[in-house]
Parts: sequence; C-alpha cells; structure tokens
Amino acid sequence: MKNTTRRAYVIYVLIAAFLFGLGFLLYSFIAHGGTWAASRLNTHVFTNRVLTNAGAVKDRSGTVLVETKDGKRVWNEQSGVRRATLHTVGDAQGFIATGVQTLYRAKLIGYDFVNGVYGKKGNTDLTLTIDADVCKTALEAMNGKKGTVVAYNYKTGEILCMVSAPTFDPLYKPSDIDTDKTGKYDGIYLNRALSGVFTPGSTFKVVTAICALENIPDVQTRKFKCEGKIKLGKGEVICNGVHGTLNFERGLNVSCNCVFAELAAELGRDKLTETVRALGFGKAINVSGAKTARSSFDVSKANKADLGWAGIGQYTTLVNPMQMLQLAGAIANGGQAVTPYFVKKEAKLISLPPTINKNVKLNAATADAVKTLLRSDVKNYYGDWRFPELQFCGKTGSAEVEGKKSHAWFYGFSLRDDFPVAIVVCLENGGIGLNDAIPVANRVLQKLLQRF
Amino acid sequence: MANLTKSRRAMLRQRKYRYVDRGFILLLLTVFQLVCAVPVVFEDGNFYWKNGAMFLGYIVFEWLYVAVMHLALKKVNFELEFIAFFLSGIGMTLGASVSKSAQLKQLVAIALGIIVYDILLWYLKDVRRVMAVRLPLAVLSLAGLAGAFVYIRFVTGAINGAYNWIVVGHGLFSIQPSEFVKIAFIFVGAATLDKLLTSKNIYLYLFYAMGCIGVLFLMKDFGTALIFFFAFLVIAFMRSGDVRTILFVCVAAVIGAVLIVYFKPYVAARFAVYRHVWEHVDTSGYQQVRTLIYAVSGGLQGLGIGNGRLRYVAASTTDLVFGMVCEEMGIIIAFAVVITFAVIALYAVRCARTAPSSFYAIAACAAAALLLFQTSLNIFGITDLLPLTGVTLPFVSQGGSSMICSWALFAFIKAADIRTYPKLFKVNA
Repeated sequence: MKNTTRRAYVIYVLIAAFLFGLGFLLYSFIAHGGTWAASRLNTHVFTNRVLTNAGAVKDRSGTVLVETKDGKRVWNEQSGVRRATLHTVGDAQGFIATGVQTLYRAKLIGYDFVNGVYGKKGNTDLTLTIDADVCKTALEAMNGKKGTVVAYNYKTGEILCMVSAPTFDPLYKPSDIDTDKTGKYDGIYLNRALSGVFTPGSTFKVVTAICALENIPDVQTRKFKCEGKIKLGKGEVICNGVHGTLNFERGLNVSCNCVFAELAAELGRDKLTETVRALGFGKAINVSGAKTARSSFDVSKANKADLGWAGIGQYTTLVNPMQMLQLAGAIANGGQAVTPYFVKKEAKLISLPPTINKNVKLNAATADAVKTLLRSDVKNYYGDWRFPELQFCGKTGSAEVEGKKSHAWFYGFSLRDDFPVAIVVCLENGGIGLNDAIPVANRVLQKLLQRF
Repeated sequence: MANLTKSRRAMLRQRKYRYVDRGFILLLLTVFQLVCAVPVVFEDGNFYWKNGAMFLGYIVFEWLYVAVMHLALKKVNFELEFIAFFLSGIGMTLGASVSKSAQLKQLVAIALGIIVYDILLWYLKDVRRVMAVRLPLAVLSLAGLAGAFVYIRFVTGAINGAYNWIVVGHGLFSIQPSEFVKIAFIFVGAATLDKLLTSKNIYLYLFYAMGCIGVLFLMKDFGTALIFFFAFLVIAFMRSGDVRTILFVCVAAVIGAVLIVYFKPYVAARFAVYRHVWEHVDTSGYQQVRTLIYAVSGGLQGLGIGNGRLRYVAASTTDLVFGMVCEEMGIIIAFAVVITFAVIALYAVRCARTAPSSFYAIAACAAAALLLFQTSLNIFGITDLLPLTGVTLPFVSQGGSSMICSWALFAFIKAADIRTYPKLFKVNA
C-alpha cells in the first residue's frame, strides 16, 4: 500500500508535462496568433480568401485607396489611382506579396492577442506616404511601358510616388491575366521598384566614378581620349560616339564608355567590388517590411574587357531600382542614405528621426564631388530646361539588353532645400534615357512640386 | 487497514471541514450556465423555448442532485460532480448552439453518464465485489471489443476510415465500444488484493492489455490505442513498481510501431502532415489549420457563443471543441477547462495517499492519468503540437459514449476519496 502511494507521484510528472505543453501552446498563440488570424482562410476577415473586413488604406493626404464599407471592400473610385497604387496597396487575393494589404494584414484586420480579430475596430487604418495623384500621373507618363517610377524625400525617407507597370485594375481584374501568352502581363504581380532587378547601363557609371574618386587622386584633372572604342586586353568596349579628348566631368556628361571602361579596368576587380559593396548593393533594403531584391555584381571571373563592360553597367550586373534611388539619396544627402519607407510611421509626441541605412558607406567629400558632377550632367549636357525650377542633378542610362530595346533609365535628385526629392525612372525596354526616361521623371517631379 | 495512524485520522477529521461551501459553488455554476444559455435560447431574436427548458432542467437537476445526495444520503464531497457539471454544461451549450436538435441527445448522454457514475460508485464500495467480477469483466470486455470490430468490419462498415463506431437504428445514434472498454480496462487493471505488488502479477494484465490494444489497431483507432497503452503503463507501474519491465514493454511497443510503419506505410502517411499543416490547408491539415486560426481569433474573452466560425467546420463540437471554446468563450475559459484535468490529477494523487486500499489508489490515479493523457492528445493534436489522433475532449466533446465513459472514470477517482465511503473506514479502522 505504501509503495502504491509513493508510486502515485508518477502522476506529478504527467501533470508537469501537460502544463509544459499548455505553456507552449499559449506561447504559440501569442507568438503566431497574428499570422494565423491573418490567414486568408479566416472567414472573419476574408470571404472566399479575399480581404473583406479590414481597415482602410489611405494615401498621404488621406485619400482612401481601399476600405471596407458594409462588409465589402471598396476601392478608390478612379481607375487611374487604383491601377497606379495597386502594387503598393496590394491586390485582394494577395498575389502581390509586397502590397500592404498582404504585408500589414494583421494590422489591417485589427488583430491582437488579447482582443482577437474584432478587437481594435477604428484603429486599423493604414496611412501610406505616397501621393495617389502623383502615382496616377507617373503611370500616365509611362505611357503603357513596363517599368517603375519611384520618388522619395531623401531627408526623411518617405516614398512619395511608387508605380510599377504592367498593372491592372483590381476592381476589374482581367480574366486572361493568368492564361495570357503574349507577355503583356509579364511579372504583373511584381512591384518592380521593390522586387525587380535590371541591367543598369550608364547609370552605373556613377558607381565607377565614386570608386575612381576614392582611389585615383588625380582623376578629376586627367585627360582621356575617345576614338569610338577602347581596346582592353584581348577585347574592346564600343562607345556611343567619338568624343575625342575629354576630362572626367565631361566624360560623365556625355556618358563616354571609353572613359569609364578604362577607369574600371584600371581600378580592377577588387576595388570595384569593394565600392559596390560599400554602397550597399549586396544587401536588401527593408522598405516598410518589404525586402527589396538584391542587386548583383560579380566580376570574379571577368577579364579586362569584361571589367570595362562592368564599369559601364553592362556585363552581368543587375540592380534593383530602389537601391539606385537610395544611392541618389545618399549622394544628395552628404553621403547618408536615408532608408526609404512607404507606410507612415506612427509618431507619438515627437517626430521620429529618419532611419539611416548603415549598409551604405559613402564619405561626405566623395558625395559632394559626385553631386557636383551630376549637377553638371543636367546643367551642361541634358539642359536645365528639361527640369524647370528643379536645380536637378542626375544620370541617364540606356542599358543594352540582348535582342530587345534598351532599358531607359534616369535617376537623380533636386538640390532645392524645400524640395529634397530623389527619383528613379526605369522603363523596361523603354528606349533611351535622355529621350524616354527624363520626360517621365520631369512630369512626375512637376506634379510633385505642385503638391509639395 | 487496521494500522490507520494518528496523523491519518487527523487528516480525516480535518478534511471533513475543508470542503468549500456547496451552495455558493452551485450558485456560481448556475449564473455561468445561465449566461452561456442566453445567446443559444434567444438566438437571432427568436425564442427557442424547448432548449430553454432543457437548460433550466439541467440546472435544476444539478441543485436537486446535490441536495438529495447531501440531505438524504449524507454525502459531503461534490468537487468532482461540480467539475463534471461545469464541463458537460459547456459541451452541451456549444453543441446546442450549433444544432438546436442535438441538445436533447446530449442531455440524455449526461443523464446516462450520471447514472453509470452512481451505480459504479455504489458497486466500488466493496472491494470483494470488484474482485469477483474482475475475470469475467476482462473476458467479456475483450470479447465484446473483438466482436464489435468483427460486426463493424463485416456488417456496418468503416466510418472515416476507422472501424470504431456501431451505428444503431438507422443512424439515430451510434456507439463507440472502445469508450466502454476503457472503464473495464481500469477496473480490471486496478483490481488486485495482492499484498506484494510485484511484476509477476502484471503479466496476465499485460496479455489483456495487448488484446485490447491489438483490436484497437485493427479498428484503426490509433488515438484510443495510445490511450490504452498509456493507461496500461500507469497501472503496471503502480502495481509493480518494476521500471525494468515497463521499459521493456515500451521498447517492444516502439519496435512494434516501427514494424507497423514499415509494413503498413499508410499508417505513417496519416501522420505525415504533423508540423506541416499549413502546407495542407485544404486536405489533411484542414481541421488543425482552422482550429489554430479561429482559436486565436476570439482573443482572451472570446467572440461570444454563436459568433465563431470554427462551428462551421466538421467535428467542431466533437474533436475540435477546444478550438471552439477558445474562439467563442475565450482563451481564458478554454485554458481553465483543460487545466481542470490537471487539477483532477492532483486531486487523484492526494486521494490515493489516503485511499482505503491499493485498488482505489491505482484506479484513481489511472483514471486521472487517462483523462489527462486523452486531453493532451486532443488539444495538442488539433493544434498540431502532437500528431492528430482524433480523440475526444472528456465531457466537453459531443457524444454519448465519451460522456458516459468520462463520468465512469470520475467514479474511480471519487472512490479513492476518503470521504466517499466513510463507513468503510470506520469498519476497517
């Protein structure tokens, strides 16, 4: 009998194991409850896996982009706004992974552990930093071309405009979107600004220029010669023209391939790679919780000619538009890259300081030197008339892609203290930077200037 | 039991005055059950008077039961009854809110459970009676289980891929034979008068256990087989204290399990979704995923009875009822419900210490351990912390067999309480 009594203590072990399991269950509820409740299968907030019962998404001026009214998800009444903000807001089914309706589901449905799904009614709205009107203008300006336009305040990090094309109207989603074979919907669920990578072309000469400024002391005074092509090792790099004798600044103005291919070959693999890394190209940027695609730059197997091509943004290099925007911002902001974001931060009492992306290391002196060069591009070559009243700086690019029209690039920033805006335009197979990308950039910037 | 010590006698005296005021607890229970019944009886502005009458009848019965037992039969300890009333009430309320017509069935099940409970309590009073039926009960229960399997296998057919349900009267009601064998299993296992509790006398029981578990495997009711195995381990340990034999049995079981998985891969396939339920949301992970989503949707206080969504998922009031309690009544009540089973286990250990004989001690601990283990398999299974085995949550899940078995197991625990058979003590002392 005594034995039996003593043996009864084995039950304590069971109780302990049970309570441990229960504790773990509670922990799981707390740790993963938000993800579970925000599942598309949760019929409290989704109907047939489409978000129906959630907070509103508004643009920076309070324009409602999408909201729930009487148990239905109601989109902005303008088709242009719906299409232009689709990739930022996110579609109803959640195919656009970086849209806030997907990324911020838990917040939008108002879930918290204590109150469950209907807990925080009224405080479930999200305000974005983008301006719906400017986005609409940007999409119009792109004129049906694929690509992306992103503009942000390089002092605060707010993304003011973010558009990706092709896009669709979430209210009237094309029925052939998943079956189409013509390619008109290629990557339609991708926000190209965040998730796309493209050959940078001449826009990458800025990176080569930064590397040269930091490693070759007399580069600013050196004379270069352009005869339409340059021999490098056993290969050669072709130029876009015959520029004759020119200095570094002029080389960047006219985007002379000979100058930058020569510099790249001279700098070598290690120095170029080091600069590319220092500028943060190897690391994804966390833009309001959405991770950007990583740019790639690999010259480990490049010969001299390859290195020359890499120096002018060809070869195997691919960059993400948001990263180019951040680089423009860093140059404009004295070397400090403010991390872009598009979901308004909730500031209490004091305003939050901008988040500096520590992955970007650019010293102030180099940044200022590049700023002067980029200002010279616009002033002495593209023409200030292309950017009225903006005191703009920038660099174009026409990235060659095999068998197709080149990507038209432009990125730059304004020097105006009251308009600290940087922009990147990338039109996929969209033509020439100067003729195709700059007009889009200017139209968006002028609209933005009105709203500023 | 002639050697009842002074300290034990003191404990007996002390216990007599330690029970919490019964009327107050009944009042709390009544308020809770009324609050829960309101949204069911007055759903959508209608008045379901039949259901209202059943709720009132249930509450009145609780008062009458305690009053009669206390005043007429001089019973003093009602803790287990209160717990069972509480849990059964929650199950019945949720069942009624999902299907108004299901309430009567559940009410009858509770009534049958209480009848079985009291009959068993009366029977267990005399250990000699227990010993007398031990062997016949073992033969009868094993033969019955085997017979049921043959009958289902060759006459009625499988339900959800398992042969563990007998459907009677064209689907009017169904019986799960294994639930009744659970009662016999503990009865047979704990019934021993041996003074020396050694390994020798567990072998016969081992054969009986192997027989039961074997039939359960044939029925493809792996969850219940696991529960039986677990109960066997607890009983075998308490009877023999022989850790070596128990380890041997465990090793044999593991080898057996490996062999089964090897020769019958479909058994393993049933558990393949474990820890991967989110990859199979529309197939084998369907129930677990819904349980997780809706269990957290209610928050700590719940969305209110009738406002949940898990109720629309199959088995919501049976296997998944814990998720439904979480969603509609809140995580606090849901956790309180399952922690109750840990408290019962504690209570059983305390009772075992002063039990009139080792039969009561072993039966109480085995019954409490079985309930706690089954609760674990149920709530951790549907939340994917353990593989899903499809066992019920005692008292709360809908179903007559499960309800009757739960009450019967409570009888074993109560029998060990020193206050249950005071006369037995006096005689022995």
